[in-house]
Amino acid sequence: MTTATVTPRLTHARVLHSEWHKLWTVRSTWITVLTATALVLGVGILMGATYTSDGGDSDVDTVILTLYGSQLGAIALAVLGILVTAGEYASGMIRASLTAVPGRLPVLTAKAAVYTGVTLTLTFATNLLTFLTAQVFLSDTDQAASLTDDGVLAALAGNAAGITLLGLIALGLGATLRSVPGAIGAFVGGVMILPEVLGMLPYEAMETAVRYFPTQAAGALGSATPLPGAASPGAALLALLLWAAATLAVPALLLKRRDV
Amino acid sequence: MIRAENLTKRYGDTTVVQDLSFTVQPGAVTGFLGPNGAGKSTTLRMILGLDAPTRGHATVDGRPYARHGAPLTRVGALLEARSVHPGRSARHHLTALALTHGIPRSRVDRVLAVTGLTHVADKRVKGFSLGMGQRLGIAAALLGDPATVVLDEPVNGLDPEGVLWIRTLLKSLAAEGRTVLVSSHLMSEMALTAEHLIVIGKGRLLADTTVDALVRASGGASVKVVTPEADRLRNLLPGAGITLEAPDTLLVTGPDAPEIGRTAAAHGLPLHELTPRAASLEQAFMALTHDSVEYQGALA
Repeated sequence: MTTATVTPRLTHARVLHSEWHKLWTVRSTWITVLTATALVLGVGILMGATYTSDGGDSDVDTVILTLYGSQLGAIALAVLGILVTAGEYASGMIRASLTAVPGRLPVLTAKAAVYTGVTLTLTFATNLLTFLTAQVFLSDTDQAASLTDDGVLAALAGNAAGITLLGLIALGLGATLRSVPGAIGAFVGGVMILPEVLGMLPYEAMETAVRYFPTQAAGALGSATPLPGAASPGAALLALLLWAAATLAVPALLLKRRDV
Repeated sequence: MIRAENLTKRYGDTTVVQDLSFTVQPGAVTGFLGPNGAGKSTTLRMILGLDAPTRGHATVDGRPYARHGAPLTRVGALLEARSVHPGRSARHHLTALALTHGIPRSRVDRVLAVTGLTHVADKRVKGFSLGMGQRLGIAAALLGDPATVVLDEPVNGLDPEGVLWIRTLLKSLAAEGRTVLVSSHLMSEMALTAEHLIVIGKGRLLADTTVDALVRASGGASVKVVTPEADRLRNLLPGAGITLEAPDTLLVTGPDAPEIGRTAAAHGLPLHELTPRAASLEQAFMALTHDSVEYQGALA
């Protein structure tokens, strides 16, 4: 029965390749990725095409204005992150995955790595395209800007990094909760809505703390000009990295202990 | 070779597997038998490292499954529930698993052919019948050309042709010198496939034996004798186990049919029927597991 000439062996690079293959061989990936891209690009064009200098939005940051669709796109990509992990528990695929890679942890790190690479690249490319397309309409308004303007490229990249890190939090929640609806609920409730509620509480300390919550930090990363009442980009990026690391550390610790 | 030593699995107060020790040798099909809920699947999951034993441990070829450098080439497993993303095609599913080990794509084609799935290889698994799903699970098990094959209830959902195919496959895998462990709750199926049997009930080892020995231990063969002179024949067979099934029908264990026939002829007793009966394996299995069936039906 032997047809192999190379000796099969489990390696991290191969697990990464396997996760890459898994990602692109289900429709949900294409659906979420195309939805996210279409939303960002579509809303960006809409914002550009309908913008008028006397419409009262002159004080809005150009990159934020252009990437309004990001908030919706981020949800689609968070769902993708959840499907990558929790989706395997829903289908039972996780049993096959962890039988092939009984060390377990390489599966989670490969998933996170593939997701990061794909989402970061895709979101940044979408952001560039959206900005340049929107500028076709904005060039004769007070929102005219170019990629070389101060902070523009950094904000386009920062937005992509923010969305990617939010998605990694979703991926981590999916791996922890092992349920797609559960993780979507936790992400929408805990990551998106809860900070908004906390921010409304009449405590100044709370208001300051909320700046470093994931969605607020991601927002601060995507602005070409400093946002009032927001964390600095550097602090926001650090906060987001810590949130993502913490959210991924939980399933990493649990993965070794829990039965599949 | 699989070795389980004092395997124990508890979930809270419920003990699913209790102090289970056995060895599965290469070169033969070993049946892993027990009523539903006996702990078969849990035991197999512990062998594969999916469930951690509360106590004890299991090894494959001398080490825990997870410690092997190329686990898919050591053990190929078909687990009970479907372990496939329904939206992925059979080929993509197998390729994803093969990629983790650098198993060539030609091997994916090969196992698809062996399991008869080539014509549906690019269809999404969602549309597969139960039998096709089982075949895909077996294809995944064979992917690494493993020295040990573990199959949990492989004939479930297969049509008669598929059942026959599994039997032939298991025997040929064993004949190639592989270790083959197959779980089932159907004694009749195992009788046709397995040489060795590990029987468990309520998580405990009930028997670690061969099919032949199990039959013998369960009382062995008997002979049905119909004669109008039942009482006289009975007295002529001292030492035999005799039960009177009807006024003219005896069930005799001990002496075989020729011996009973000779005795009757020597004394001029007419015999209307003399039928050797092999003990049903099913009955042997039932006798063995009677006390450990999780859900016993009561006759109203």
